[in-house]
Amino acid sequence: MKDNNLFSNYEKLASTWDEMYNDSAEFRSQYNGFIKYLENTSPEKLSKKEDLAKQLFMSQGVTFTVYSDNEGIEKIFPFDIVPRIITANEWQKIEAGIKQRLKALNLFIKDIYNEQFIIKDGIIPGELIYTCPYFLREMKGVKVPHDVYIQISGVDLIRNNDGEFYVLEDNLRTPSGVSYMLENREISKRLFPGILPKNNVRSVSDYPNLLYKKLKGLSNNLNPNIVLLTPGIYNSAYYEHTTLARLMGIELVEGSDLVVKNHFVYMKSTNGLKQVDVIYRRVDDDFLDPLEFNEKSVLGVAGIMAAYRKGNVNIVNAPGTGIADDKAIYIYVPDMIKYYLDEEPILKNIETYQLGRPDELEYVTKNIKDMVIKKTDGSGGYGMLMGHEATEEDIEDYLNNVSKKPENFIAQPILRLSTAPCYIDGKLSPRCIDLRPFALSGADGVHISPGGLTRVALKKGSLVVNSSQGGGSKDTWILE
Amino acid sequence: MLSRVANNLIWLDRYMERGSGILSLLKVNYYANQDSPELFSWTPVIKNFTDYHNEYYTEDALECIDFMVFNTDNYNSILNIVTKARENARSVQEHISRELWLCINNYYLYLTDKQLRQKLREEDPVQFLDDLRKHHLIYNGTADVTQERGTSYYFMNVGKFLERVNIIADFTSIKLDEIANTSDSLEKSFYWKNLLFSIGGYQLYLKTHKSTFNQDHVITMVFQDKLFPRSVYYCVNKLSRHITRLIETNELAKNNLEFLIGKLESSIKYTTIENINDQGLNNFIQNIKEDISNISTNINAVYNSK
Repeated sequence: MKDNNLFSNYEKLASTWDEMYNDSAEFRSQYNGFIKYLENTSPEKLSKKEDLAKQLFMSQGVTFTVYSDNEGIEKIFPFDIVPRIITANEWQKIEAGIKQRLKALNLFIKDIYNEQFIIKDGIIPGELIYTCPYFLREMKGVKVPHDVYIQISGVDLIRNNDGEFYVLEDNLRTPSGVSYMLENREISKRLFPGILPKNNVRSVSDYPNLLYKKLKGLSNNLNPNIVLLTPGIYNSAYYEHTTLARLMGIELVEGSDLVVKNHFVYMKSTNGLKQVDVIYRRVDDDFLDPLEFNEKSVLGVAGIMAAYRKGNVNIVNAPGTGIADDKAIYIYVPDMIKYYLDEEPILKNIETYQLGRPDELEYVTKNIKDMVIKKTDGSGGYGMLMGHEATEEDIEDYLNNVSKKPENFIAQPILRLSTAPCYIDGKLSPRCIDLRPFALSGADGVHISPGGLTRVALKKGSLVVNSSQGGGSKDTWILE
Repeated sequence: MLSRVANNLIWLDRYMERGSGILSLLKVNYYANQDSPELFSWTPVIKNFTDYHNEYYTEDALECIDFMVFNTDNYNSILNIVTKARENARSVQEHISRELWLCINNYYLYLTDKQLRQKLREEDPVQFLDDLRKHHLIYNGTADVTQERGTSYYFMNVGKFLERVNIIADFTSIKLDEIANTSDSLEKSFYWKNLLFSIGGYQLYLKTHKSTFNQDHVITMVFQDKLFPRSVYYCVNKLSRHITRLIETNELAKNNLEFLIGKLESSIKYTTIENINDQGLNNFIQNIKEDISNISTNINAVYNSK
């Protein structure tokens, strides 16, 4: 069954790195094991597995609900059955690069909310900090346990056509997707019996234990009461909140379950108020405390920030970490690494133009067909302009918008996201992917789960991997 | 335990129990209605389980079952009930067994499958209802063998038995209304028999009293039998047991609750059929319903306080 047509018509994209094929159209060695499996499996069988995967996601409740006409429809995050495979060497570099980056970013946040040496030394302009919507004055001078602000992060990487991994953004606020890393692996175990061990794929299942240990380490209490704060069942990541709470054995709470009394946080339980020591919050800064931030928020808890500043409760991630993953600050991360660590960045930044600078704005405008322009405070793939597919009119409109407040925009050259084989309509086809590994930081350093979430742009030729825009995901295998 | 979680657990089981009761009633009424539609109409069924605003009534069996199972405007349609049960379960996943969550999630997916509605129209409606009822049996069995005996389990059982008492009381009231409309003793016996079918007690009745229909025997069995799991006394007894455990572990405040449940339990236990007949079965049921409602309000107070 050597030729089952699975591999025919694999149209590699021009000047794009493919994860499975090298430039001479030979298989990369890390894919050998899985290719052998594919060669011995008929397309019918693979299609069955694809259906099985869908059913499994549904029956396990790995879904989010879309409401329309009073009717809730359960949706799954599309899953491609072909895993994305990364070698041990590649992973080593990714791991070292993320650790270095997080170390610098954490020092940066501490610096910004305390002495601000980096501004005084002229590395980063102060106005950039103070105009950033994620900068929280409320955090100035607040002492956080072990000086760790970013306990949980999910740095987005892409592989450019030079084969190198670049950092796309450092999600340092409340990154989501880790439950899909875990769930995708559980599905692979059932779809491909025996194949994971045969390929020496590293396990990711320790993540919840590790997360629990990091959260526990934040409290001086030997047996702290740790809770996960969710915005509630209508949040699209609610599945993830329930899963993490269940896997860690901690309570899943909503804002209305908590109350602050004398600067301590309590949960309302059937036998009275019970003190809460650590809160893993999946609620954004802005909604955390109606007394200090968005006063209309019902998702947070009134008085929680005051309790936090007194050190009576721990909030993870610390409020205000968004200052370090703002798109305008991103440009300075390589400088931070040099400034704080005196090291060369292991992972590269994507060349980024700050449209607030007239020369860069001019350059970007001239080369707009090769650029993607983003708002500095945007996320989820919204509010972007992809120069190569935009009409003249779109471009004009967008640039008009830019001219109103150019410092709120950045531009990057359109990236050649690497492609990986996906099983689509009975054949393997290349689709653009990125990679989000999940890192946990605490007093004992940074741990990165050997895996991550590989997001796929399932639309042919698309570069947008966001789930809100037709993206899907893949299991991510890191080989020993 | 979080008060919200306790509340969700109670309602999870209340909804599942209600669904199970409605499905039983639909099945039994379907059979009876095919025999004698003039005696067993669908109107009382719809009336009992819809709110005051409902204006929809039908005497077409399939239309009625469709309305009671699928109609999202019907507050107590099985689809609405299971959706709500699932939402409750979903938000307390760390408190219920994984198996139980998967069970209810699968029930929800089964119910929302687009083909299912067609099945009701084109295939055997009894099989259709039985297939749905099976999910409730699996739910109860799964809870029994996977859920640890602790606070969550007690709260779930409180919900289950509160609801079950309500359902038995409601079913009996429906039958009493129907019985009041006839003076024919044979017809009356049909209704009593139908009540036993609806709560699944016919087989036990036959074993105990053979095929002679005596109204007093039926009432005694439905309200006072100690071993029949769908008698009012059995449910109140269980309810009392689980409430007591929650009081012992300080999950519920003693206050009125201990008194109310104790009073209800004795009022059923230490009464005779003569006594019930003297005050009238309708009154007797009304008192039980009031007590159950008071108990329920007292437990809800847990959620709303602090």
